[in-house]
Amino acid sequence: MAVVEREKLLEVKNLKKHFNVGKNAVLKAVDNVSFDIYKGETLGLVGESGCGKSTTGRTIIRLYEATGGNVTFEGKDVHGKKSRKDLKSFNRRMQMIFQDPYASLNPRMTIKDIIAEGIDIHGLAKNDKERMERVYELLETVGLNRAHASRYPHEFSGGQRQRIGIARALAVDPDFIIADEPISALDVSIQAQVVNLMMKLQKERGLTYLFIAHDLSMVKHISDRVGVMYLGNIVELAESDELYEEPLHPYTQALLSAIPVPDPEVERSRERIILEGDLPSPISPPSGCRFRTRCPHAMDVCASKEPKWLEAREGHWVACHLYDNELNTENKQQ
Amino acid sequence: MSMHEKQLNNDLFQPAVRSSDDAEKITKESTSFWQDARRRLFENKGAVSGLIIIVAILLLAFLGPLFSHNGFDDQDTSRTNLPPRVPVLEKVGFLGLDGVDIRGVDQYKMKNQKDNYYWFGTDALGRDQFVRVWKGTQISLYIAFLAAAIDMVIGVAYGAISGYYGGKTDNIMQRIIEILIGIPNLIVVILMILILDPGILSITFAMVITGWTTMARIVRGQILKLKTQEYVLASVTLGAKSSRILTKHMFPNILGSIIITSMFTIPSAIFTEAFLSFIGLGISPPTASLGSLVNEGFKSLQIYPHLVLYPAVIISLIMISFNLLGDGLRDALDPKMRK
Ligand SMILES: Nc1ncnc2c1ncn2[C@@H]1O[C@H](COP(=O)(O)OP(=O)(O)OP(=O)(O)O)[C@@H](O)[C@H]1O
Ligand code: SF4
Ligand SMILES: [Mg+2]
Repeated sequence: MAVVEREKLLEVKNLKKHFNVGKNAVLKAVDNVSFDIYKGETLGLVGESGCGKSTTGRTIIRLYEATGGNVTFEGKDVHGKKSRKDLKSFNRRMQMIFQDPYASLNPRMTIKDIIAEGIDIHGLAKNDKERMERVYELLETVGLNRAHASRYPHEFSGGQRQRIGIARALAVDPDFIIADEPISALDVSIQAQVVNLMMKLQKERGLTYLFIAHDLSMVKHISDRVGVMYLGNIVELAESDELYEEPLHPYTQALLSAIPVPDPEVERSRERIILEGDLPSPISPPSGCRFRTRCPHAMDVCASKEPKWLEAREGHWVACHLYDNELNTENKQQ
Repeated sequence: MSMHEKQLNNDLFQPAVRSSDDAEKITKESTSFWQDARRRLFENKGAVSGLIIIVAILLLAFLGPLFSHNGFDDQDTSRTNLPPRVPVLEKVGFLGLDGVDIRGVDQYKMKNQKDNYYWFGTDALGRDQFVRVWKGTQISLYIAFLAAAIDMVIGVAYGAISGYYGGKTDNIMQRIIEILIGIPNLIVVILMILILDPGILSITFAMVITGWTTMARIVRGQILKLKTQEYVLASVTLGAKSSRILTKHMFPNILGSIIITSMFTIPSAIFTEAFLSFIGLGISPPTASLGSLVNEGFKSLQIYPHLVLYPAVIISLIMISFNLLGDGLRDALDPKMRK
């Protein structure tokens, strides 16, 4: 892919989110995460359950206060004190789609009130008629029909609810949407429907997505670039084709080896890397490289030194000592 | 065979066209949560009978005294301890409503009251028990209303503030509740009697001080749970203010729990008042309360059982019907909580 000067929409630098759990125990859910998101692209974020993907997304959108680091959206700092007006305009530009379609819609509200919530908060409709017009339009945008407007969430299926959640986010005309595992609670047959809708909307409206998921196969389909998280860190980030063809980080290699290939010949000879051990607790993560307790290539340095976040190839970033040339030449000299 | 004669060919079939619109169509009638809940409530026989009894008692408590020309504290020593006597029903012997007492003496004839009918009889001072029982019921209903109001106002507000703001505020507010719960109710009442006088006022104050803690805890728990619900988070990311989140998202979702909780607070408050009056710490004479009526009648239970019978039956009916209605409401509003 030609590297064109792309416009950065969102910059995340050394983002940290620590939770205080109990006396003196700190859970580092997100620790020193940095990445950029360019206008119009989809950045996939994958990782095992509990590695801090949702926390990353929620901290970016200010649902959680960041412990450290900063997030800039179009050059403006997202966190920190803001006037009500700034906050409101920020709320309109960045939106979120949630994971659980059964928990993300208020069971006591009708679909029209759910979708119109953003319209009401930001006063986007002059009168009731205009409000309803907007709601109908949004319902049709996500492939539902007008008759659904006065119904309640419990009358819809998971996929339909997820589309209602998308309509709610679209109501304020955002530029950037954080989708926190929007399809993992849905049936496989419905997943494609929602993903296709999201891709169509992206094309039509020039949306930018941060797409969080826990399996790589769906992310590949939708993402331009993919970041892999492990225990609160991003360990690898690359164009999605590149990442799938040549994963560098041992953790990514293990994740990819677990995806079945739809070709019996290849599938038979496919080698699986089985990770040993369990995910360590984020309250007391391993020293040095956090992956070292399960890494098949772990070396001595891995326990003592945290790997640097390096651009191993053009546009392909990885945090692993195997690719730290400085370190390797040092080793050879010794 | 006609079956064999008909050859199946393509002409016999028509493609079933399903437009995408049809696929998303919901044919069932749209029902809101409250419509559903009402249907479930009215399907529940227990709850409906509870509701009917409550309404009947409510009407009788306020209309009953009007049927009699006697006031609740009109004494008349010429008509003491009369057993119940009801027109028409006095002819049905086994009902015992013919004014004949337990020893077989017609008290009405003996005391020259042949023209009078006291439906629930009279007490030792000749006061009309029918009026006194309904006056006592009024007190019980006042207590019920008071308990519900305290729950709704103090309990809900306290719990909502504690749960919504969380952190230090929550911590301090919860410690205060724990202290209040630690003090036995009886002690609070006795303290109130020391400051004020025995009577409806001291019971009211005692309830204001301690009556709302259960509700506050339940509301707090619900709010804490709702705070992390995704639909609340979605509202936050849309830029909603606290007032909007509380009124649009939280209250409609905890209203069920609030109603259920107060439905169970009411009978226990009624019983507490009756109990306090029974042991002499509550309503003082000449005002009647169901508890004090039972206490008075209790002294002559073996000779004049009617004095205990009616207030005891009424208080039992109130307790049972509130509990039945509470159970029904719980099943209707929160099917998950069903036992
Ligand atoms: N509010 C919180 N308080 C304390 N710990 C939290 C909180 N939210 C998340 N955590 C912890 O932070 C870690 C990361 O959680 P997070 O929800 O971000 O994971 P995730 O990658 O989204 O997982 P999943 O795929 O299951 O959604 C977990 O260990 C979790 O227990
Ligand atoms: S730094 Fe070491 S332990 Fe970590 S992934 Fe690389 S080789 Fe494995
Ligand atoms: Mg998550």
